[in-house]
Amino acid sequence: MTHRTQPTLLRVGAGMLLTVAAFFFVMASAATSHDIRPGIGVSEIRWLSDYLPALEGTPGDTEIYVLRGEKPGGAFLLLGGTHANEIAGVMAATLFVERGTVTQGTVYVIPHANNSAASYNSGVYNAGTPDWIELTTRAGEVRQFRYGDRRTNPSDQEADPEVFIHEQSGLEFDGGEARNLNRNYPGKADGTLTQQMCYALFELAEREKINVLIDMHESSITGRLANTLVSHPRAVDIAAFSILDLEIEGLALKQEVSSGEFFGLSHKEFGDRTHVLPFLIESANPGQEKSISNPDVVNDPRSPLSDRVYLQLRTIQAILTNHALLEGSSTAIAFEFPFGLGELLGADLGAFLR
Amino acid sequence: MNRRIAVWTAFILLLGSLSLVTTAQESEDAASPLLFEQPVLVTSIGQSAGAAQARVVAIRAGIEATYSQRATLEELEGIKTLIIVLGASSKGLGAAGVDIDGEIAWANELLAKVNELGILVIAMHIEGGARRGPSSDLINSTFAPLAATIIVKGSQPDVEWTADESADGNADGLFTTIATENDIPILYIDTTLGAVDVLIELFGMTPAEG
Repeated sequence: MTHRTQPTLLRVGAGMLLTVAAFFFVMASAATSHDIRPGIGVSEIRWLSDYLPALEGTPGDTEIYVLRGEKPGGAFLLLGGTHANEIAGVMAATLFVERGTVTQGTVYVIPHANNSAASYNSGVYNAGTPDWIELTTRAGEVRQFRYGDRRTNPSDQEADPEVFIHEQSGLEFDGGEARNLNRNYPGKADGTLTQQMCYALFELAEREKINVLIDMHESSITGRLANTLVSHPRAVDIAAFSILDLEIEGLALKQEVSSGEFFGLSHKEFGDRTHVLPFLIESANPGQEKSISNPDVVNDPRSPLSDRVYLQLRTIQAILTNHALLEGSSTAIAFEFPFGLGELLGADLGAFLR
Repeated sequence: MNRRIAVWTAFILLLGSLSLVTTAQESEDAASPLLFEQPVLVTSIGQSAGAAQARVVAIRAGIEATYSQRATLEELEGIKTLIIVLGASSKGLGAAGVDIDGEIAWANELLAKVNELGILVIAMHIEGGARRGPSSDLINSTFAPLAATIIVKGSQPDVEWTADESADGNADGLFTTIATENDIPILYIDTTLGAVDVLIELFGMTPAEG
């Protein structure tokens, strides 16, 4: 009896272990999923792998939410989560998907541009940052959102080289930057996972004839880049008009242009290699401030998340308004929310989510 | 009859003299502040994006302004006023493919030509604390003294700065000192858009209605 039972138990145990192992294998190799609840403005959901099939089923695949306006116009690509720890961009994109509607043109929103980076948090800037943030909706539901990392998960990509060389320019970076989405543009179809994600985003921009691209980022609250709008030199006028419009509302942004010598960045490479007018917005995240122990990345009164999301969305609105004024109405893009963006200031961000 | 003629003559002479006095007063008023003339060229020294903002400000003031991020000597042709926007940007210098020494050498050449052509210069510093620091201050201290008027977004002496601290480009009084030492009129603004009204005044423009 004993002799007959033991092999059976072993078989059952081994089967369970295999099932668990298979589950973790699938989870490890598949794209990280997120609690995003598309609203009435979303017309279609695509995947980044639609633009590079090699990404299908990999941790680099990510959802693309398409919002079409009734009025024809231009095409706009909005990237959150290029650096998955810079959560104001992730949450601004999430809010756009859940509550935004497009009135003119087509908007492609990617809340997790580097979805692999959203799968872990190495605490690179601050070990005290959380793995998740929690926001409470108006209905009282607590929703969780990943606080990820700056770079692609090291388990999803080959080991970092000692020195990362940006292939198209020959520019050298620290080896870890091989996993930084915003150092790998224009990417490579058969390259590393990070290069493939970049390549797919370039493909998307080309195929969908994107007019404007905005990449949402965050810096530390005392950093040089805090509250800055960066643009390609071709878009410097739109950026200047936008900054002065925002100044009237008391929103002070610094202005920078893409460097001629610093390659691999979205605003540089899309601007140099495509017809897209690219911008990058930097809000100020307490979680990226090394001097703050256990930073409150949601409620720190110096730079609460709701204010940072407001800064991102209001700046996007100003850019698109001035893009329409300076580039003409045929490529105009316009969106709206069922609330005034100013209501976000000092508010509980969760109350605006679905 | 002679008396009537004498009275009219005296009256006309009186009107004439009053008219001359009024004209003289208007001339004195017009001389201060200095009125700048169009066309205007806006350029950057330090290759920051502030020059693009200055061009927007000029457009909003109704001024005919050409923008050239790094102006050439040829672009000075026919220009009456040059607006130089001061402040170094490492990204901007990189985009232009120059270092700070190369930028200063170029700007010295540009300003020498400006002087030769009798073009008036307005120096603007409108990007606050972001354009203060060793490289920026080298540019600020070298070129602000060459201007006919300085416009700075920053605090003025004995007046509390109520805007964001980082927006104060004159917290240490650098531009006030430059203006005082070189006898240059200086105009302080709290916001970049505040330069619209300043330019309207400096160029004698009619403010837009509404």
